[in-house]
Amino acid sequence: MSNKKYRILGLFSDFEEAFLAINDIKLNRVPGVSVDDVRLMSPIEHPEIEEILGERPAHVPKFTLAGACFGITFGFLFLASAQANFLVQPQGGKPVVPLPSNIVLTYEMLILFGVIFTVVSFLFLSGLIGGKKERLYSEKVGVDQIGVILELDDHTYEPTKALFKQHKVLEIREEVIK
Amino acid sequence: MSLNNILTNWSRYRKGAEEGGFHEYEHQWGMVVDLNKCIGCNACSVACYAENNLPVVGEARYAKSQFMSWMRIERYWDEPDLEPYQASPTANVDVWIETNPPAGKTALKPSMPGSYAEGLLEPGGQGFEERVGVFGTKGEMQDFGASFLPMMCQQCHAATCEPVCPVAATYHTPDGLNAQVYNRCIGSRYCSNNCPYRLRYFNFWSYYEDAWPEPLHMQLNPDLAVRDKGVMEKCTFCVQRIRVAKDEAKMENRKVRDGEFATACVQTCPTGALVFGDLQDPESRVSKLWRFHQVEQGKTKQNKQNKELRGYRILEGLNTDPSVMYLERVREV
Amino acid sequence: MKHVSEKDINEEIKWAQINTDILQSLQNPRKAYWVAVAVCVAMLACAVVAEVYQYQTGLGVADLNRPHMWGLYIATFIFWIGMSHSGTLLSAILHIVHADWRKPIYRFAEAMTTFSLMTAGFFPMIHLGRMWNLYWVIPYVTDRGIWPNFRSPLVWDAFAITTYLTSSAVFLFIGMIPDLAICRDNSTGWRKKLYTVLSLGWQGTDRQWRNFRKTYMLMACFLIPLAVSVHSIVSSDFAMSIMPGWHVTSFPPYFVAGALYSGCASIITLFIILRYFFRWEEYMTMAIHEKICKLTFAIAMVWTYLNLVEFGATWYGHDPVAKEVLISKFVGPFAPFFWAMLFFGSVLPFALAFEKSRRNLPWMFVVSLLLNVGMWLERWMIVGPTLSHAYGPESWNFLWPSIVQWAIVFGSFGWFGLLFLIFVKVVPAVSMYEVKEMVFHRRREANPELAARFHRRITDAQSVTAKPGIEGA
Repeated sequence: MSNKKYRILGLFSDFEEAFLAINDIKLNRVPGVSVDDVRLMSPIEHPEIEEILGERPAHVPKFTLAGACFGITFGFLFLASAQANFLVQPQGGKPVVPLPSNIVLTYEMLILFGVIFTVVSFLFLSGLIGGKKERLYSEKVGVDQIGVILELDDHTYEPTKALFKQHKVLEIREEVIK
Repeated sequence: MSLNNILTNWSRYRKGAEEGGFHEYEHQWGMVVDLNKCIGCNACSVACYAENNLPVVGEARYAKSQFMSWMRIERYWDEPDLEPYQASPTANVDVWIETNPPAGKTALKPSMPGSYAEGLLEPGGQGFEERVGVFGTKGEMQDFGASFLPMMCQQCHAATCEPVCPVAATYHTPDGLNAQVYNRCIGSRYCSNNCPYRLRYFNFWSYYEDAWPEPLHMQLNPDLAVRDKGVMEKCTFCVQRIRVAKDEAKMENRKVRDGEFATACVQTCPTGALVFGDLQDPESRVSKLWRFHQVEQGKTKQNKQNKELRGYRILEGLNTDPSVMYLERVREV
Repeated sequence: MKHVSEKDINEEIKWAQINTDILQSLQNPRKAYWVAVAVCVAMLACAVVAEVYQYQTGLGVADLNRPHMWGLYIATFIFWIGMSHSGTLLSAILHIVHADWRKPIYRFAEAMTTFSLMTAGFFPMIHLGRMWNLYWVIPYVTDRGIWPNFRSPLVWDAFAITTYLTSSAVFLFIGMIPDLAICRDNSTGWRKKLYTVLSLGWQGTDRQWRNFRKTYMLMACFLIPLAVSVHSIVSSDFAMSIMPGWHVTSFPPYFVAGALYSGCASIITLFIILRYFFRWEEYMTMAIHEKICKLTFAIAMVWTYLNLVEFGATWYGHDPVAKEVLISKFVGPFAPFFWAMLFFGSVLPFALAFEKSRRNLPWMFVVSLLLNVGMWLERWMIVGPTLSHAYGPESWNFLWPSIVQWAIVFGSFGWFGLLFLIFVKVVPAVSMYEVKEMVFHRRREANPELAARFHRRITDAQSVTAKPGIEGA
């Protein structure tokens, strides 16, 4: 038997069908296919998706925290050092490094960098930038269908397709990887 | 580098005016205006126009209050012991506000034509007499009873105009002056809005284009710039003269002597109502007058031993800490 | 009345139908659209002509004068900043409290935020005496060692507005990505290219959604304090000064309330326009309209309260100068505008309190515009009277703004309109994926046994026989 690898995308009419199929994979109905390999495509995010796919990491908040911390430190130090190097202009009887105005500006910097770090980390972590896109994609995922993607080999290829069909898959797209 | 700078100098950088501020003053130029001596001749104002290249804006722009008189004589009609001027029923009535501090003494009232107080409150209304003095009518000036208030930049030490400038175009010099850097100004005009004395003037137009038709441009003072549109300006205490005096003193290796020079207005005043000098020099005329009248800098309320003394600073209750002391006008009752 | 059981949205609506209904808004525009564009461009042209003239001649042509250093420019600046507040702030607040009726209306509200910020940003520039030196406000490193003055509330403004514009534009964009992917899948030609770039290759995979949810929630959490801080910073332009009538402790909340107020009123305006022109009655339902109207009424009352507090505190405070300014507002040359502001701002919103009046959309359209007129007047009444009537009687005066100022203010509405018109034809003004979510949740709520069955199936390993069409579309 040749040692081919396949990628298949099964399109289901709704979350329930797709989830039942994944549940079967979870219950090891197809030996050799793990639920951790399952990738889901959907028009919206199902609120209880973790129940079926298990907890998968989303590290965005860590970057947010880092961005906020950076914003505070950098913001304040930037302002204070700019002021401390601009000694020629004391004004209105105010100190050279006036805390009340620096608090306001540092606050804005916190939010600005928090937002920037969040967004940039989102773009990378979600794979929108630099990540590999799914080669198999159906426009119907943008409308109302749910896609389940799996990478399979010769042993698991046929049983998985059978499983999908059992759960009333609407369409199966596949490609041979090698 | 910067970080080190901040850490080592932190406590110095955190000093406000109350604790002496960040830098040492070399001078504190100040002035005394004796309202008893002011006769409202406007010579100071004219001198200022000549000295500081102030454009004459013409009637139309003057009427729009777009003029540039750094030194202006405000006129008030407020003789308290005179019979209130009979206001005709159709007249527009001016309104006074109590300015600090001729406390309990007089109420000031503007008389400038076009003053907005027109129609503010109807005369004869309830409580009108108490709150709003009825003194005269528009268009008909009284023959007598005017008070004059020469107003130039008060060179406040806690100037409200300074911290609001977005580009730091106005700042406090080691001479104790409130300086305006024309080149840095972007014309946000916040400083003028935040000046309680309204002593900052803005170049709404390129005034120079028609203010000095040839050969009048020959009269321009070469010691300072002619300002173009879009920058704020104000009385500088004739900073160009201060510069010259300081340079000469430095060359002769001495301190600037009191009375060695004066600003244009002081120099011109025919009655000697204005006195200019260094408040840091305890021997200067200005310092002596301040001391005599028991007016001190850095206070929002003067603690005078002798209540009869006439010295006061305008709106000092706002904690602007002005460098100009006014001497109240005394009248016979 | 009989509308008690009215639904925010019909939960039986099919997902495919949602796509079709929303995407039709991107079809080639009708003639009315081009007329609207032409009107907006004409309005904008007025402003451009006026601005070029003012740039060349100086601010004298605006009829600003010595006490009136700020005029309609700053008033309109605050107005536009204020209008920007409702979109993002409400969207973020409603998002974190899971009020899903925000979903059909938040997209255009956030676009309104971004565009009104883009409009507002022009005014501080236009009002500068030397606009060409504007970049001096930016803190950049130079060999001269010159920095902007960080003490100035105007610099705070620059920081706050930059942060707010960046964040709200990014918030709008992030929220749009799944919809842009739908547009990409359904378009051809230049649109296809545009959406391919903009959607960043969104495919709706679970990894993308997972990170997307987290990001969106985090952004919402940032935007709430940010929006509040932005308008309080704008209020510091006044509250940080020492001028009577400006130096008011209650200004920050007053500004924030005013901002929410005018923003909500504009949401009503745009809601009615979009609902009418795109025939989105299915999505922009009366039930949602009712909710925004009630919200606007509540905010109007907050604003009224803060107004009264300001008057009362000034009156009670016995600061004679502040008192004179207050009196001059009521009886001075600004009096007609001041009373108009009080009428539009505090009396007219009662039209939103009555169901019969609320449900009359043409009337509500007029009311929402008038509320915004009132809020614009409010900003003018903040800037104007204090300038005309502060400490020194010498400088009391009143100068009517010149045609140049009016033209620029007028043109700013054209600019905003133009941006919005482009927006509705390029981007779906209603969020498709979020409406799908809303429908999905509502359906589960309406049929609890559906959700229960779903859980039972998933957890019960034996159950493999399924009935299609229960979940999802």
